[in-house]
Amino acid sequence: MTRTDDARASGIVRQDRPVDHVDQFEEAIRTPRLGPSGWARWAWRQLTSMRTALLLLLLLALAAVPGSLVPQRSADPNGVVQYFARDRATAEVLDWFQLFDVYSSVWFSAIYLLLFLSLIGCLVPRIRHHLTAIRSAPPLTPKNLGRLPAHRVDVVDDATVARAIEEAERELRSSRYRVVRVDEGQGRLSLAAERGYLRETGNLVFHLALMGMLVTVAIGGGFKYIGQRVLVEGQTFVNSRLAFDSFDAGRFVSDDSLAPFSLTLDRFTVSYVTDNVNALGLASSFIADVTIDGQGSDSRKSATIEVNSPLSVAGSEVYLLGNGYAPLITVRDPSGTVVFSDTVPFLPQDSNLTSLGVVKVPDGLTRQVGMIGFFYPTRATTSSGASYSSYPDLVFPVLTLNVYVGDLGLDAGNPKSVYQLDTSAMTEVAGGESGVSALELTPGSRADLPGGLGTVELEEIPRFASFDIAHDPTQIPALATSIAALVGLGLSLFVSRRRIWIRATQLRGDIHLEYGGLARGDDPRLLPAVESLARRVSDRLTPTTPKEPA
Amino acid sequence: MLTGCASESTDLSDAGGDYITGTGTITEIPRTERGARISFSGELDTGGTADSDDWLGSVVVVNFWYAACPPCRAEAPDLESLYQQFLPDGVVFIGVDVRDEAATALAFAETFGITYPSILDTRGGEVQLAFAGEIAPNAVPTTIVLDRDGRVASRIIGQIPDRSVLETLIEDVIGEEG
Repeated sequence: MTRTDDARASGIVRQDRPVDHVDQFEEAIRTPRLGPSGWARWAWRQLTSMRTALLLLLLLALAAVPGSLVPQRSADPNGVVQYFARDRATAEVLDWFQLFDVYSSVWFSAIYLLLFLSLIGCLVPRIRHHLTAIRSAPPLTPKNLGRLPAHRVDVVDDATVARAIEEAERELRSSRYRVVRVDEGQGRLSLAAERGYLRETGNLVFHLALMGMLVTVAIGGGFKYIGQRVLVEGQTFVNSRLAFDSFDAGRFVSDDSLAPFSLTLDRFTVSYVTDNVNALGLASSFIADVTIDGQGSDSRKSATIEVNSPLSVAGSEVYLLGNGYAPLITVRDPSGTVVFSDTVPFLPQDSNLTSLGVVKVPDGLTRQVGMIGFFYPTRATTSSGASYSSYPDLVFPVLTLNVYVGDLGLDAGNPKSVYQLDTSAMTEVAGGESGVSALELTPGSRADLPGGLGTVELEEIPRFASFDIAHDPTQIPALATSIAALVGLGLSLFVSRRRIWIRATQLRGDIHLEYGGLARGDDPRLLPAVESLARRVSDRLTPTTPKEPA
Repeated sequence: MLTGCASESTDLSDAGGDYITGTGTITEIPRTERGARISFSGELDTGGTADSDDWLGSVVVVNFWYAACPPCRAEAPDLESLYQQFLPDGVVFIGVDVRDEAATALAFAETFGITYPSILDTRGGEVQLAFAGEIAPNAVPTTIVLDRDGRVASRIIGQIPDRSVLETLIEDVIGEEG
């Protein structure tokens, strides 16, 4: 980290001056007057110091807290609306402080931008420093190796200084040290060696990867979109916002960024386990046969989508989510004219696909009709008379309908979910409390609507599948940066940076080999490393002969 | 799974540009900045087919809708009355039903007295695809006015705010020299 040099600020060695010395500056400590560039430099130093970075990180965590206390427009728009309705005055104050949009607020952005700046300002000098360190030779051998944290002297006879140094150098190199040979004169030779540059490299890679990840998420997130769509067999989805049932997108997504393609669900096949009594009726596979069509004329192709096996189309991934039945229901008026004929997706309620659906017939009959239906793919009856589905495939399909007449609530212009029936302005005329039993239909059968309104027919029962269409350009960069961060972290934790010096001196007939070791940072394995190195060097110099070669 | 016609657009809203909150966001494109001609065709709810190439030289109003969509129901009478008003000027009105089968679409037309036909786009989606590259309609209902060359001249996303708004948009395009 960068540290200011405070030497100039210390008022030292005053008493050595003559008594009659006239001090020019009477004050004990005097900081130099800073010009604009000086102040800028000072501010930059403050910003890029480790202390500030940690403080900003803490501040970022604190600033995120209101986001979980106050409803956010991005996550919970309804909550915000309710807050305003409940307490308008407070809400307006909170809104002025951007507390409903914490994560995009000015002050939150300021903190993380400063943090980024601080990180960059800290990393750049460190990288420059590290590059110099990598290129430069290990520092020369200190005079007194005995002062180093790891120290050891071996006495070897029957060798020369040159040979001892040569063997030691070989040993160091085989342990992947960078070695420099130093001739200290008077017949003394020494080695200066250093290893573990990867530790700092790993540390830098880790920090850079973290920054890369943040940038990826921050910028890439704006290009993401995800949408859902339910398709009945035979229906087509077109990749435009109009066609999605629900849609959620980043801020940089425009209509043009939705790649134009269409996807037709040709067939949806479900296989069931039939040969294992314990798993009878469990689905063993879901396969959606689809046709993809780009805008070009010759770009039609067929494909299959399965669970956990999405389809890539024009930069988007299409995932298969759920499925169910979408009975084709036809309603006729008393004269036999068809006024409604549609496949209606019924949402599964249990594993045997007992499904619930809503049919709205707004036009063509004398009154608007709404129906809440239960669909049983294989209808069974409990001893109390209630219906349930006993098997998810179509063995004995039955559709029951509770019928309501009145106002569907569609004509006021307010959006309504197609999966819900607002019965507040309607009367139940069949099923439930109405006293008339619910309509019951099997494929091909027809039932009369109460009050001579018309008839309902269950024609066929195609399946529907629901798809997730997601476009996420951040996936690969996010993976790459997280792998880089992990690798960098591993290197910075497990690589130890050590300096070792070895000095060989001729003393009488013996060679004194003196070892000194110094670790950069905390390194409990320094002494063992030096000792094992010394042992290996000694072995090289005096090959003991425990065993004669055979 | 909330489905259907958004009267308020979702989170896309604050991206600026053409992006849109609420009903009736109007975009008018000056003549010189219009994109390529849009061609589309499809089966009609009344039987038979329609092809946009037959309407070159006429101003065309395209309305994306479906029967159970409340804003579509709310604006239907205005569309029909504008259709009647501009019939003498040769303005073509065409609906594009994005969710219903023929019978449902016809019953809707019956309820609101709609006399112009609709292309059924539920199964093929071709009309939506044709509009997807240019100015994509982002919500149902969406109303688009095509000029005499078949290029997008203006659009209203969401329910038509007022009958007079669409009336003005159509008149502007009619007023352009052919």
